[in-house]
Amino acid sequence: MEFSRGIDSNITYRKRRSLIIKLLAYFKPYMPLLMLSILFAVLINVSVIVKPYIIKYIIDDYLAVGINAPDVFLYVGLIYFGVVLIGAGLSYSQTYILTYIGQKIMYDIRNQLFTHIQNMSIKFFDRTSSGRILTRVTNDVEALNDIFSGVLVNSIKDIIMIIGIVITMFSINKNLALISICSIPVIAIITIIYRKAARKNFIKMKALIGRINGFLAENISGMRLVRIFHREKEKFEEFEELDKEYFDTSLRELILHSLCRPIIEVINTLTIALLIWYSAGTVVEGYLEIGVLYAFINYVKEFFAPINEIADVYTSLQSAVVSAERIFDVLDNQEMLEDAEKGMPIDRIEGEIEFKNVWFYYNEDEWVLKDVSFKIRPGQTVAFVGHTGSGKSTIINLMARFYDIQKGQILIDGVDIKEYNLRDLRRQIAVVMQDVFLFSGDINSNIRLRNKSITDDDIKRAAKLVCADKFIESLPSQYSQEVKERGCTFSAGQRQLISFARAVAFKPAVIVLDEATANIDTETEIAIQRAMANIAEGSTTIIIAHRLSTIRNADNIIVIDNGRIKEMGTHEQLMEKGGVYRQLYERQLNYQWIA
Amino acid sequence: MRVKQILWDFIKKFKWRYIIGIVFLIITSFITSMIPRLLGFITDSLNNKMPLSDIVRYLIILVGAAVGAFIFRFTWRYFLVGNCRYLECYLREKLFAHMQTLPATFYDNNKTGDLVAYAINDIQAIRRTFGFGFTAILDGVVVNTVSIAIMVRTINPVLTAMALLPTPFIVFILYKLRRKIRERFTAVQKAFAQISEKVQENISGIRVIKAFAQEEEEVEDFLKYSQTRVDTHMRLVRVSAAFWPLTQFMFGISIVFFIIYGSQLVTRGTISLGDYIAFNSYVMIIMRPIVSISRVIEIWQRGMASAGRLDKIFQEKGEKGSKSIYVVPDIMMRKTEDRKHSLEASYTYESLKGDIEIRNLDFTYPGSDEKALKGINLKIKEGETLGILGTTGSGKTTIANLLLRLYDVEDGRILIGQKDINHIPLKALRESIGYVPQDNFLFSTTIRNNIEFFRPIYQDEQVNLASKMAGVYDDILSFPDGFETVVGERGVTLSGGQKQRVSIARAIIKEPSILILDDSLSAVDTKTEEKILNNLKKVLEGRTGIIIAHRVSSVRYADQIIFMDNGRIIERGKHDELMEMKGAYYRLYQSQIKKERDYYASGRLKVNPGLRT
Ligand SMILES: Nc1ncnc2c1ncn2[C@@H]1O[C@H](COP(=O)(O)OP(=O)(O)OP(=O)(O)O)[C@@H](O)[C@H]1O
Ligand SMILES: Nc1ncnc2c1ncn2[C@@H]1O[C@H](COP(=O)(O)OP(=O)(O)OP(=O)(O)O)[C@@H](O)[C@H]1O
Ligand SMILES: [Mg+2]
Ligand SMILES: [Mg+2]
Repeated sequence: MEFSRGIDSNITYRKRRSLIIKLLAYFKPYMPLLMLSILFAVLINVSVIVKPYIIKYIIDDYLAVGINAPDVFLYVGLIYFGVVLIGAGLSYSQTYILTYIGQKIMYDIRNQLFTHIQNMSIKFFDRTSSGRILTRVTNDVEALNDIFSGVLVNSIKDIIMIIGIVITMFSINKNLALISICSIPVIAIITIIYRKAARKNFIKMKALIGRINGFLAENISGMRLVRIFHREKEKFEEFEELDKEYFDTSLRELILHSLCRPIIEVINTLTIALLIWYSAGTVVEGYLEIGVLYAFINYVKEFFAPINEIADVYTSLQSAVVSAERIFDVLDNQEMLEDAEKGMPIDRIEGEIEFKNVWFYYNEDEWVLKDVSFKIRPGQTVAFVGHTGSGKSTIINLMARFYDIQKGQILIDGVDIKEYNLRDLRRQIAVVMQDVFLFSGDINSNIRLRNKSITDDDIKRAAKLVCADKFIESLPSQYSQEVKERGCTFSAGQRQLISFARAVAFKPAVIVLDEATANIDTETEIAIQRAMANIAEGSTTIIIAHRLSTIRNADNIIVIDNGRIKEMGTHEQLMEKGGVYRQLYERQLNYQWIA
Repeated sequence: MRVKQILWDFIKKFKWRYIIGIVFLIITSFITSMIPRLLGFITDSLNNKMPLSDIVRYLIILVGAAVGAFIFRFTWRYFLVGNCRYLECYLREKLFAHMQTLPATFYDNNKTGDLVAYAINDIQAIRRTFGFGFTAILDGVVVNTVSIAIMVRTINPVLTAMALLPTPFIVFILYKLRRKIRERFTAVQKAFAQISEKVQENISGIRVIKAFAQEEEEVEDFLKYSQTRVDTHMRLVRVSAAFWPLTQFMFGISIVFFIIYGSQLVTRGTISLGDYIAFNSYVMIIMRPIVSISRVIEIWQRGMASAGRLDKIFQEKGEKGSKSIYVVPDIMMRKTEDRKHSLEASYTYESLKGDIEIRNLDFTYPGSDEKALKGINLKIKEGETLGILGTTGSGKTTIANLLLRLYDVEDGRILIGQKDINHIPLKALRESIGYVPQDNFLFSTTIRNNIEFFRPIYQDEQVNLASKMAGVYDDILSFPDGFETVVGERGVTLSGGQKQRVSIARAIIKEPSILILDDSLSAVDTKTEEKILNNLKKVLEGRTGIIIAHRVSSVRYADQIIFMDNGRIIERGKHDELMEMKGAYYRLYQSQIKKERDYYASGRLKVNPGLRT
């Protein structure tokens, strides 16, 4: 499991400061809108502060002294109405703008993240479960919504509000104002304690969501197998355990949250009590107008409303911050990133491939390829044979630069493949992979992928060459027949044919067939072999096969054993030599004969 | 089973926790609504120049009330909100248990990423509905009733009516808007699920995407989904953002009336200044729950939207004869003894005996209109081996799928030991069959776990033996971590042949009475194939075997061989009989072996003495 947790682990060490700077940078394109919404926020605050002031005016100037002035009341009432109307309008626009900014930024981040993931090297995908990657692009990005579409501006609004209230309070009565703000340090301490605890919990919680996502993704794709083996119970137990772990963190979050917020409310009431207690004497002695006290009580409430709100969003803020860290953890992973821009552009390569003393491992010090050297001339057909696990597919992976080698050199047309532009290089090499993958869509889109330069005729031609036309044309909608996830409604052989047609349709300079006909019946296989000359069309062809009969005609046969090259030569040469290949060949023949 | 039903059962099960929670919530709300009244008293007593000691007494009550409210609030939150945190997990487990019963067709037609979104995103939306929505409603109702009651009793009823005036209008408007919210939120959830689906598929196919350098095009495609997510959300906000300003505005109007009319009442002496001040607080208090009710309506509609989506899955019928695991709602999520027993009980089963018989079977995959199998008649005697050869897409795998009852067939078509397959318990059927699927799926866990397949009841020797039989033992030992090596998703860090052999070991270790190998030697070299076939002979002793293959050599020794083409059996018999027929089998044999042999013999090479002629 250690490597699959790889991307969750070092999150905690990330500097918070740089995170906030990075997050703020996303606001840049939306500066004008942001400014507008801050302006709105100020105006909304003004409307909120003005309201109690209007009422205070009525109380102190008229009601407390017992003056009845219906005209004034009406006049003031209308002013109040205007304030309310403007406040409501602003508040709607404000929400709309903020949501817009938030969604836009999420859009930017999501796309950036997806693009980044597209450019990650295969190594990253070997180690990271798709569920975890999925969680980052989906749930974690959604969690950011809170930061961008509310919290930031609302916090600005709230802080402006608090400052506004404090100023107003001081201008009315210094002593009362001092009493009112003495709760601030207490609140600060509580918040700090809460933050520490909540953060730790959130990190755990998010990691668990990722694991649940991963578990589900894997188990839904493997559901069929679990069913066939009747292991539903065992799998369920596993899921339940994971879910329980998640529940525990979720409950802890709830407890923390339920403690933090109400405590602030208690402090709120305490402050009011203190205020009244202090002013009681003064009012009774007649120094203080009761309207002032009324205004103060209201201000303290208004003052706590944003604080409360901040405390409230604090939880989602913490949650968002942890998600942001998880996202940047991927975005900051530069070392596994492939550079699609760098390197020499290629139009068309000749197809000469040379391995010079190549050493390679997937995991530190477990050499998979040891000192491999060979040369393939343009247009040649070369076959790799060898026992399973000897490193044949690995050699293919290296040609397309899915992995970088540790020692030695790989040259294409005499140039080190590291010099080439990666994408261009891969466009030259089409691989029919051992593990077939079909996308959901239709047959056309699976052969063409998103390459618009491949016409319908090209597709038909490719399908014909690999003898897939017969079965495709017997389908109700032929080439536009729907393909479900991973092509699960086709037989294994049919899937393999489609993926073969895909490689052919791309007309590459190098075509690689990694066990491309393993699941296909012999009749079709032989037909494909006959068409091979047309399929390859002068491009370099590399074949990996276990059935030696399929590669007999290759220009060069390379025998791999345990990561080393054992022998090389044409069929005749190798037979003559009487080495491993001959043994292999005769054994196959012999065994099949007597079998 | 519908989501509503599940929720209802859940509430019933935890009724005591709900009752306690609700009682505490009511008390809390009651206390909270008393606080402004207290403040009113205090203002009055200040105004009337009451002695300081009275005021201090009020203040103590005030502080006491605040602390009390704090304790009570914590308690109800723990009970009510805690419950819905549990509900989230419970629903998810329930969903997973249900998904475990759904037939293969369901998975053929739904995408993984989408299903994952249901289990995380939609369930969280339901949790939010039940957590925030439910408690906010209760809180709102209680605070409102108490405040209004106090107002009516102690303050001018006309003023009270004035304060309440906007409420019916607001409720009416909200009611009108609710459907819009639900529709638009469904769209949001769908957009989210589509992103999930897109990313999931993209990552699964990343090797193809990279090999064909399609990254940029994929990003371009992704932008569409991402944009839809933004658009759907903005559509939602256009409606939902109106709630709060609307409420504010309506109550603003009522305060305006109050300023105009209420002020006169004070000067006329109809109400006291204290009442006047308190009234203002009451409007604030009434407004708060109304605002939250509007949020509740929004969240409720979101919950309903998600419940509607989930209902679609919950209403899918499970496979015939499969029962979903009973998920016990238990708040601390303890595992009950029952469950442990039932897990152990599932290790024992009655293994299937007897001949396999297929009678005149036609089969069409659901949703397809072409028959995948036509008029299949077949009998495999107990302990014998059947070899299946055939062209690509001829229906070989389909036969295996049907024997595993992954798809339904009519009664009387397939019998095992004289019993109709539809009447054999799924457990007995599937536990008795060892199956090596054509595409090898491994889980991202240790190799050992993959061989045992999550049932850790096997001894080391059994695991070793099974992997030796499958010819993968040496490969596994050559890894630094041996059987504890963790493989990548779907087994990506193993070579094709290694994966295939691990899945053979996985089938063998079950010691099944029927063993089905579906093209399971396609990715191994001949030497290994030979070794495995030899082992299989041993393994198959006393077991019924079905070997699907493309090589004559793999099925050469079977007791019966059938050759399939286009859903039909076109030839059947033993090797020798088939050779005599000079049909498809003969031709296959010729092209695979004879020609090869002739080629070899015609070469200038000396024939190895070991080779028979
Ligand atoms: N992504 C990977 N990470 C780590 N190890 C790997 C990875 N891919 C392959 N290996 C290991 O490297 C070795 C060579 O694998 P490779 O896939 O090249 O074999 P192969 O010759 O293609 O075999 P087969 O004929 O079975 O397909 C194997 O031992 C395998 O377990
Ligand atoms: N789930 C499915 N839904 C609809 N049609 C299917 C489904 N699975 C297979 N088919 C179709 O049924 C036919 C038989 O498929 P099957 O998988 O049995 O072939 P097969 O003989 O195993 O071929 P192969 O040798 O390629 O594995 C094919 O035409 C295939 O397209
Ligand atoms: Mg391979
Ligand atoms: Mg098949």
